[in-house]
Amino acid sequence: MGNISNPVKRFDFDEKVDGRAQYCADIKLEQMLYAKTLRSEKARAKIASIEIPHLPPGYFIVDQNDIPGKNIVPIVYEDQPFLAPNRVNYIGEPILLVVGPDKPSILDILKKIKVNYEELKPVLSIAEAQELQEEYIFANKPCFVEYAYSKGNIAEAIKNSKFFIEDEFRTGYQEQAYLETQSMIGVYEDNRVTVYGSMQCPYYVKEALIQALGWPEDRIRVIQLPTGGGFGGKEDYPSIIGVHAGLAAIKAQKPVQLVLDRQEDISCSTKRHPAIIKIRSYIDDQDQITAQEIDIKTDAGAYAGLSSVVLQRLMYSASGVYNIKNLKVQARAYATNQVVSGAFRGFGGPQAFFAIEMHMENIAQQLNQDSLELKREYFFQQGDTSSTSGLFQYPIKLDEIATEIAKMSSYRRKRQLYSSQKERLRGIGCSVFSHGCGFTGDNEEKLIKPKVRLKKYSYNCVQIFVSSTEIGQGALTTLRKIVAQALEIPIEWVKHEYPDTDFCPNSGPTVASRTIMIIGKLLYDCALEMKDRWNEEEFDITHEYVYPKNLKWDNEKFQGNAYPEYSWGANVVEVEIDPITYTLNILGIWAVYDIGTPIDEKIVKGQIEGGIVQGLGFGCMEVLNSKNGQLLQSSLTDYLIPTAVDFPEIESKLIHNPYENGPFGARGLGELSLVGAAPALALAIQNAIGQKVTQIPVTPEYIMELMQNAKYD
Amino acid sequence: MVKVYRPLNLIEALDIRNNENTIVFAGGTDLMVKHREWSGAVPKFSTSLLFIGHLTELQTINIDNNSLKIGAACTLAQILNDKRIPDYLKLPIAQMASPSIRNMGTIGGNIGNSSPAGDTLPMLYALDAQLTIQSKSKTYAVGIEDFITGPGQNLLKPDEILSEITIPLSNYRQYYYRKVGSRKANCISKISFFALANGDAAQIHEVRIAFGAVAPTVIRSFEAETLLKGINKSQISERLNDIKSSYANLLNPVDDRRSTKIYRQKVSLQLLENFLLKELVW
Amino acid sequence: MLNMINFKLNGKNINLKIHPLKRLVDILRDDLQLTGTKEGCGEGECGACAVLLDDKLVNSCLVPAALLEDKSVLTIEGYRNTEKFKVLSACFEKAGSVQCGFCTPGMILAAEALLRQNPKPLEGEIRAALAGNLCRCTGYNLIVEAILLAAKEGEGLWSKSIDL
Repeated sequence: MGNISNPVKRFDFDEKVDGRAQYCADIKLEQMLYAKTLRSEKARAKIASIEIPHLPPGYFIVDQNDIPGKNIVPIVYEDQPFLAPNRVNYIGEPILLVVGPDKPSILDILKKIKVNYEELKPVLSIAEAQELQEEYIFANKPCFVEYAYSKGNIAEAIKNSKFFIEDEFRTGYQEQAYLETQSMIGVYEDNRVTVYGSMQCPYYVKEALIQALGWPEDRIRVIQLPTGGGFGGKEDYPSIIGVHAGLAAIKAQKPVQLVLDRQEDISCSTKRHPAIIKIRSYIDDQDQITAQEIDIKTDAGAYAGLSSVVLQRLMYSASGVYNIKNLKVQARAYATNQVVSGAFRGFGGPQAFFAIEMHMENIAQQLNQDSLELKREYFFQQGDTSSTSGLFQYPIKLDEIATEIAKMSSYRRKRQLYSSQKERLRGIGCSVFSHGCGFTGDNEEKLIKPKVRLKKYSYNCVQIFVSSTEIGQGALTTLRKIVAQALEIPIEWVKHEYPDTDFCPNSGPTVASRTIMIIGKLLYDCALEMKDRWNEEEFDITHEYVYPKNLKWDNEKFQGNAYPEYSWGANVVEVEIDPITYTLNILGIWAVYDIGTPIDEKIVKGQIEGGIVQGLGFGCMEVLNSKNGQLLQSSLTDYLIPTAVDFPEIESKLIHNPYENGPFGARGLGELSLVGAAPALALAIQNAIGQKVTQIPVTPEYIMELMQNAKYD
Repeated sequence: MVKVYRPLNLIEALDIRNNENTIVFAGGTDLMVKHREWSGAVPKFSTSLLFIGHLTELQTINIDNNSLKIGAACTLAQILNDKRIPDYLKLPIAQMASPSIRNMGTIGGNIGNSSPAGDTLPMLYALDAQLTIQSKSKTYAVGIEDFITGPGQNLLKPDEILSEITIPLSNYRQYYYRKVGSRKANCISKISFFALANGDAAQIHEVRIAFGAVAPTVIRSFEAETLLKGINKSQISERLNDIKSSYANLLNPVDDRRSTKIYRQKVSLQLLENFLLKELVW
Repeated sequence: MLNMINFKLNGKNINLKIHPLKRLVDILRDDLQLTGTKEGCGEGECGACAVLLDDKLVNSCLVPAALLEDKSVLTIEGYRNTEKFKVLSACFEKAGSVQCGFCTPGMILAAEALLRQNPKPLEGEIRAALAGNLCRCTGYNLIVEAILLAAKEGEGLWSKSIDL
């Protein structure tokens, strides 16, 4: 068998390239009806009454009264309804569905429905949430969750410090902008409901249906369809529309298709959390960073959703890849009457690494040191403990990564040149970062308990049964490679279909950069066991995740190994700024990653390139503002994602550092490539203009403001 | 009842325009977005539509006596592909939208839309474009600067059709165009700057400058252009402040979801200064 | 209101009784069950709905039926039977240009539209030709690489006009 990293043809390639792949909106079932959602026009209001016009035969309304089970989305906290009961908390919150055979008629009915709101005073920003004394959105406090953790002896360290350096940073909303909008089809047949659709987590959708219907789980089936991108945006939101489609199908007794409009999708589905991060580093008389205090605030929107989990990752990543021995971190996710913030590739990491990387740069400047050299002094090493005092048991190659990327990009030479050169606004910046792979702490075992199944048929065929979804990242190919390589059989013998909850065990969601490292490893273990039994005719092997004995986690104190393992990386971006228009021209992009072993070099390259471009978009062009509870850039005309013209080629390299608990040494990659891009870009811009960048996206308008203020310094 | 007319020729089109209230539909790249309903549902119009994009009479490009005449239904791509059309005219068009939009969108549509950020407009204003307006009863010409009266507003009457754009041609020594957007392609202009100059070693014969997206309509300053007329390039610096003031008084940008007033104001004047001091080279 | 529209689709003449304002993307997907053409935004911004209309790349979400009269439309379903598609798709595979696949049919047709006009494009020209096709997964570079490769490997295929 060759090296596993050697690329193979993707198994989903043919049907995608020639247009045969059937995404949700491509499917038309017999007698299928359409659904459209009536959404709140108010940021915060009581619903006094809803006037529904006369409905022609064949048309239905689906509202909270059609929910036989619990009208609560099962996600961490029990606060978000599937369909608004008697109050709404954000513009775009779903109130009811209109279902029927003819789209213009549905639109007609929607126009005639009159919702009588009694407006309440909305909370529209973190600042407003902080001021709030009463009439809270959630429970009896302004935030959904409030966390803190610490390391070492911060009081002592502060006492022995000479001075401190403090910065405050802000990051904005970001929209996932998957090319395929959220979509579902609900079917009710033979006393069972089946929901098909575009999703990352079939079992999340199934759990949501079980909760909404109160039915036994064998009456509910969820099947993933080819999915046109997810990026976290299809982690929990599909649970809501999946239930909508299911309820509609049950009521109508016919299949119902629910496809979100692009503007609807941007306005109403979950977004990246805006964040305000304050970092204060204490410096002693040896110019050493002895302690850090970090304060984090995120705008979680109207419902808790995944905000507690995002906040955790943000706060564990907040001191970056640096061994800060005395650390105090506190974090709050505020409730506001705005669109719900949720999962987006990086999941708190992009916000955290932007802040810490800019901050370390500022420290270096104040201490008159080269920032990359300063960072090196604090790089984590094997044997150190993390921000949450978890032991780093495996080799960490940050030094090698930093050396390699500096060489590739000629970082030193350019840095020196650009720092002194005044005629052109050129700059170069380097970010160093990590991403914890897998669910936080011991949640892989405590919360998810992922199971995988590998089946051997009597003929030459092995089939993978997992709930992991192909969302473009190559799961239908990479998991096959792992199994084939472990079994030493031709990859054509391995079957893997889009997950169907009737056949696939719950392997957990396709998130957190866990699919290869956790699920791939479980499949690998199944395959090894299967190899020994290969001569048996037909049999199944199921494996369930066991939390590694060499890891520990205290979920009350947030102490221990925050993640099963980490991937590491560095990005360099070189930029030139037009002095007349303040627009950016990116001259070069370099990336070095340690992801253990690439399971497929070509797929890995695709993930690297796509993640970096998405991260650069976050860093400089994806402006998404909320005003009076409404997102201002709600179409692809106004919400600008990078085009083919915007950024140049990317030069990337991988460091060889296999992880003994990963399949063939692999760790996660899905999110790592997005995390470091915006900080590297912001650092390059800061280097070019000689002014501190404290927020992203770094727009020309902001650059102009920074350069203008400079004149008055 | 909303009707859809697909006339056989211009005369028939003008007849229909004369008889009823219609929206003129050429490439449809704006109209189809503005009136879109749900995926699968037909776009909703409350006024009848008159399709003219297929009329070959409106798709001609001719050069006649140093005058370029472009049919209003010429697509942007057609203009870009025509070798007779000078480069300075193509510069703004090449950066509009995307290749697929340029294959359908028309110059007449961009003018008819009369958006403050319309990308063909600064160039047309700077070139003193004349528009031929036709109705059943008459045909007349109007300068583009008079035709567009405000954001999305123009003089076109319900019985009229914009049929042709006439541009006096000249050998400009220098031409310069800058579109400022929030990404490098396929975006609405935050500012656009178009300039032409003519002269010889001794003096500037004329300079024409037009700004787009920074006021309700395109800005040209005859006061400023006069200050530049007939002077030596070395004299530009001494007149620069007056020239800048002249434009500063005319610029009237706004804060919106794309950009800010102060950015647009400042960058416009910097584009101007850069053009006058650095780009005017020959 | 329904009109009779005659046009050529993927090489075949068809007559349809259709509302003159029905969008081409809906005609293809709903009336003709050709779902290879996708809708990503409905505003002409993303290019997922791109088809060739009289050999020119257009966004089918912006083309009403009334504009189709006597024109010819090429969708991915028609294109995928050609020699050029074989070369282009092999290059997409080689370069790793497909991830979620939603933008892919539009990208393929944008590549075809470019190569017809410019059989040996430079990198910058490829990027400009793709400016109206958004991709969120690949970051574009691998798609650009694929098209550069196709221009080389499809030597001769795009320098002469081929009728469908």
